[in-house]
Amino acid sequence: MTPVLDLQNLSVDLPLGGFLSRARLTILQDVNLTVARGESVALVGESGSGKTTLARAVMGLQGMSGGEIRLDGQPVAGKAGLARLRRDATMMFQDATASLSPRLTVGYLVTEPFRIHRQPLPDPDRMARDLLATVGLPAAIARRYPHELSGGQARRVGVARALALRPRLVIADEPTAGLDVSVQAEVLNLMADLRRDMGLAYLIITHNLALVRHVADRVAVLYLGRVVEEGPTAEVFAAPAHPYTASLIAAEPKPDPRRRRADLAIKGEVPSVLRRPSGCEFHTRCGLVQDICRQNAPDLHPTTTGRLARCHFADQNQEQGDHHALEH
Amino acid sequence: MSAPLSVENLSVVYRVAGGILQAVRDVSLSVQRGEVLGIMGESGCGKSTLAAAMINLLPVGAEIRQGGVRINGTDMLKLPPAAQRALRGQSVAMVFQDPMTAFNPVLTIGRQLADFAGAHDPARATPDRLVAMLARVGIPNPARFLDRYPHELSGGMRQRVAIAAALLMQPDVLIADEPTTALDVTMEAQIIHLLRDLRTSFDGAIVIVTHHLGVIAELCDRVAVMYAGEVVEEGTVDAIFHAALHPYTRALLACDPAVVDPSSGRLPTIAGRIPDLTALPPGCAFLTRCTMALPACHNPPPRVLLAEGRSVLCHRVQP
Repeated sequence: MTPVLDLQNLSVDLPLGGFLSRARLTILQDVNLTVARGESVALVGESGSGKTTLARAVMGLQGMSGGEIRLDGQPVAGKAGLARLRRDATMMFQDATASLSPRLTVGYLVTEPFRIHRQPLPDPDRMARDLLATVGLPAAIARRYPHELSGGQARRVGVARALALRPRLVIADEPTAGLDVSVQAEVLNLMADLRRDMGLAYLIITHNLALVRHVADRVAVLYLGRVVEEGPTAEVFAAPAHPYTASLIAAEPKPDPRRRRADLAIKGEVPSVLRRPSGCEFHTRCGLVQDICRQNAPDLHPTTTGRLARCHFADQNQEQGDHHALEH
Repeated sequence: MSAPLSVENLSVVYRVAGGILQAVRDVSLSVQRGEVLGIMGESGCGKSTLAAAMINLLPVGAEIRQGGVRINGTDMLKLPPAAQRALRGQSVAMVFQDPMTAFNPVLTIGRQLADFAGAHDPARATPDRLVAMLARVGIPNPARFLDRYPHELSGGMRQRVAIAAALLMQPDVLIADEPTTALDVTMEAQIIHLLRDLRTSFDGAIVIVTHHLGVIAELCDRVAVMYAGEVVEEGTVDAIFHAALHPYTRALLACDPAVVDPSSGRLPTIAGRIPDLTALPPGCAFLTRCTMALPACHNPPPRVLLAEGRSVLCHRVQP
């Protein structure tokens, strides 16, 4: 079946410095990623890994230097392509309150996409009511202004607005950032309900691994603008094939004082894209680094279980992870 | 010897358009040397106001209604402003959530650290001492670091420098308000490890304010859970995470996505919202959201003291 979203060798680079400088800085390099109908895919990585740039590129907010974006099998090109993209795919922003105009009522805000895309809107009040009901908000909230909403309500209004034109793909940038755990749980439940009821597909950009475990079928891990591992979420978490994935999982604070981590999961910081390390780009922080890693860059290749990983020792790592999982 | 920090029956209100907002209500807490106290709760429960009150840096509009904040036995709130300033920095230091805004963007790190350190005692501002402190918080090449500007540093590095700045004064109390919230999970882990290491070497009390349950579990010895301005439960970190008694603490722990098994499908939530702090009900503030409420809960709940440092504000709990 044709995927809803298909990214083929997506690359983004940005001009670097000086007025006459021709130098370019690689932000994303040859990213291949698909999101099937009704599927939920998470993109994880630290700040500077390029995950937000990828979302912006998909929405046409960031020019590409190479590759192609296909929506339902059709390449997205030109103004008409962009218009179609922005109707069928919508974005849920990180800061929900800031993404809503403070001067407009909630009722107007959730029906604004119809006006922007010049879609028929015979009964705005009723449409606003229906959309708000979809995200579990009372109709009375339509008369309120964004500053009168709590964080969780603003997030829901953002979702209602994103759903107005019945998109098939929602790109969610850190959908739970800054929310309390009880509200996070509400947002995640809502996302799961909408997926079940409307067949929505999600591309979720986050560094919150708990969120990934709960809502993503598949996960792709980005490091310095390249995918370093991709596969089904449960398998990746049980036995990561890339040491970077393993260290991200290990770095997550465990909400149990009896399971405190004794040692530091990951050393150092993400290197600058201005000075990409030689060989495997993760070797400067990798606990399992070998000589070959400093010299030869590994390709993104399938592991024995059909996952993708960019590591010379992917199969070994994965097996060890499996043993580890069995012991527990 | 008196505790480095003790808060006694503290109440803080904000004057707002709708009336008087009761942000902190009759809070009593104390922290011993070498101990890490975590203050946890959702947004709007008063934890940041409490942290600001501990160093008496409340925002405009806030007013202390009653109570005191004792630093090594001296009530800071009763001191004249100059004496308070001397205490701040020297005895109590604070690390803020956003390490970018804590620094002046046009001065080098070295200059700013020297200013902090030299404000009370110029002898402390020697480059050797600054470099030693930067090394202690895990900054690579600390000597070269002094010439850098805040914008050249990553969020994790800035937070390390902020911690170094706070520790330069050798305070008795270090208060960190959401110290890892603005950071990636990898940097968060590093800062947690740093604070844990410091705890053993730095002979003061540490207070961590956060809504992140994982950070509390990894770092704290004791925990105070806040709801609607009150400490509803207090205990050791193990008691809070494994034998919580207050229905709010239990509900909060149960709905953390990091705890819930993904195969379970839906996540539990806490129905309803925090009550309006300008018009609090006479009884238990958690009553409307509580699944275990009794008729008695319409009356103010008792503070049940179970052991030293272990208390619960609930009608359900028997002493």
